Amino acid sequence: MKKKKKRALPYLLMLPTFVGAGVFSFYPFFKTILSSFSFTDQFGAWQSWAGTTYWDMMFHEDSFWQILKFTLVFAVVIFIGTFGIAMLLALLTTKKTKLGKISQMLYALPIAIAHATSSVIFLFVVKTDGGLLNSWLGTDISWTTNKDTAFWVVAVVTIWTHISGSFLYLLAGFRGVSDDIQEAATVDGANGFTKAIKIMLPMASPQIFYVLFLNILGAMKCFTQAKLLTSGGPAGSTTTIMYEIYLRAIRYGEYEYACCLSIVMFLLLFILTRIQFFCEKKLVFYQ
Amino acid sequence: MKIKTVMLEVVRIFLGICMISPILLALIVAFMPKADILASPFKLTLENATFANYIEAFQYMNLGTYMKNTFVMIVVCLPARLLTSLLAAYAFSHFEFPFKSVWFAILLMVMMIPGEVLEVTLFKMILKWNMIDTYAGLTITGLTDVSAVFLFRQTMQSVPKELREASTIDGCGDMKYFFSILVPVCKTMIVTFALRSFVSIYNSYMWPLLVTTKDEMRTIQTGVASIAWSSHDGLTLAAATITSIIPLLIYFFGMDEIVEGMTAGAVKS
Repeated sequence: MKKKKKRALPYLLMLPTFVGAGVFSFYPFFKTILSSFSFTDQFGAWQSWAGTTYWDMMFHEDSFWQILKFTLVFAVVIFIGTFGIAMLLALLTTKKTKLGKISQMLYALPIAIAHATSSVIFLFVVKTDGGLLNSWLGTDISWTTNKDTAFWVVAVVTIWTHISGSFLYLLAGFRGVSDDIQEAATVDGANGFTKAIKIMLPMASPQIFYVLFLNILGAMKCFTQAKLLTSGGPAGSTTTIMYEIYLRAIRYGEYEYACCLSIVMFLLLFILTRIQFFCEKKLVFYQ
Repeated sequence: MKIKTVMLEVVRIFLGICMISPILLALIVAFMPKADILASPFKLTLENATFANYIEAFQYMNLGTYMKNTFVMIVVCLPARLLTSLLAAYAFSHFEFPFKSVWFAILLMVMMIPGEVLEVTLFKMILKWNMIDTYAGLTITGLTDVSAVFLFRQTMQSVPKELREASTIDGCGDMKYFFSILVPVCKTMIVTFALRSFVSIYNSYMWPLLVTTKDEMRTIQTGVASIAWSSHDGLTLAAATITSIIPLLIYFFGMDEIVEGMTAGAVKS
């Protein structure tokens, strides 16, 4: 009896996690795939086969291609903006100084602010009526509904919410570069810039690489900023995949279409993480 | 040389203030009376500082209710996540059982399905189960956390085997060892994870938005976001400021530990 109990123990320990994973990961995942080929009722329950009806619909809609294009451009912009700023901040604070701890804390703190809260704060800046920017510039621009500026409103807020996390990873990478190597470089006459390019970057490549994908994946999953700042507009020009999934499933009652989009999103994320693993083995320099 | 050092320090602090300027802006504007906020051109000033916006946030906004709902979410999800993932990590790090690698591979597969992809299907499930606008609907999908299993498994594997052997000799059973020795030994990692998890539940927006429709079931983030476009900017920013205090404090005091746990799990070295 005792022995039997002992053999069952590890399974009992795993049980809750596997029940959770089964009911709230695997089941909805397969249900999403199934639903993309079906007609469903308002509760998402299966009714009849639809074949590739919704897939055809999706591929033939201009909005789908526009959203894909936007998502890719957006991901690149978010990456460049976040990475550039986070890199500068991390290089500035790599060397520990007396007041360094303060600036480090200031750079890192925005990580605590929720995306929804950030959007709310930035809305006060970019609002058309009574917004800070218009008031100070003396202009009357509707930043969030103007085709040229809406993209940048969403981008700037997303970059701001991403900088702190990226900064912390990069800082950990740069701090990991040993003092000996840095001193040797200084003795050999390398200035701050050469040191940064030739030594810090290659030595911190695992973290840099991680930040690269963190930002791209983060930009692709972006939902809150698009919803709160621009509602995906104007004319759908700032609609991210995530926001389109939400719109289709909740607003337009096209749950099956949202499932197709979800699968596209899954594939995009899956391919990206595969590339990440592959490149990590080939490109990253480990000490 | 000295001047250069001072200059660099000034630049650093200046950039730091730029980074947190949105937070400072919200904090200051939230103290300004309506007339000052609407003044044109807008002037950032605390001349007529007032608590009116903060008081209004609690009086007219159900901010208290939103906070209560958020804390119910945290109080239910956080301990559940910790317990389930610690137990599973214990199984994977301390036991040998048939098909262990298969079970492990299954967990790895779960990790490859991002939660965002499942969001609308999970919403339909909650709808079908009649759990819209209930605490069950808010919390049920967040009771387990596979990534935490990996995190804790890694930590538990680094606990010396001698500890387990010594406790067995002293007559310590499997579960007694888990609760009175292993969990205390892994305390640092558990606290780090708990803090991050706390903030991520506190800051969650999309899931509460999907599964709640009534105002009295809103959480902090959906509540604040619901007045994002209100013309009463002082009130909105006061709400944003109040609700940001807790995550800011957590990161302020726990920064070193959180960062260590965060970067340790991300990049192998």
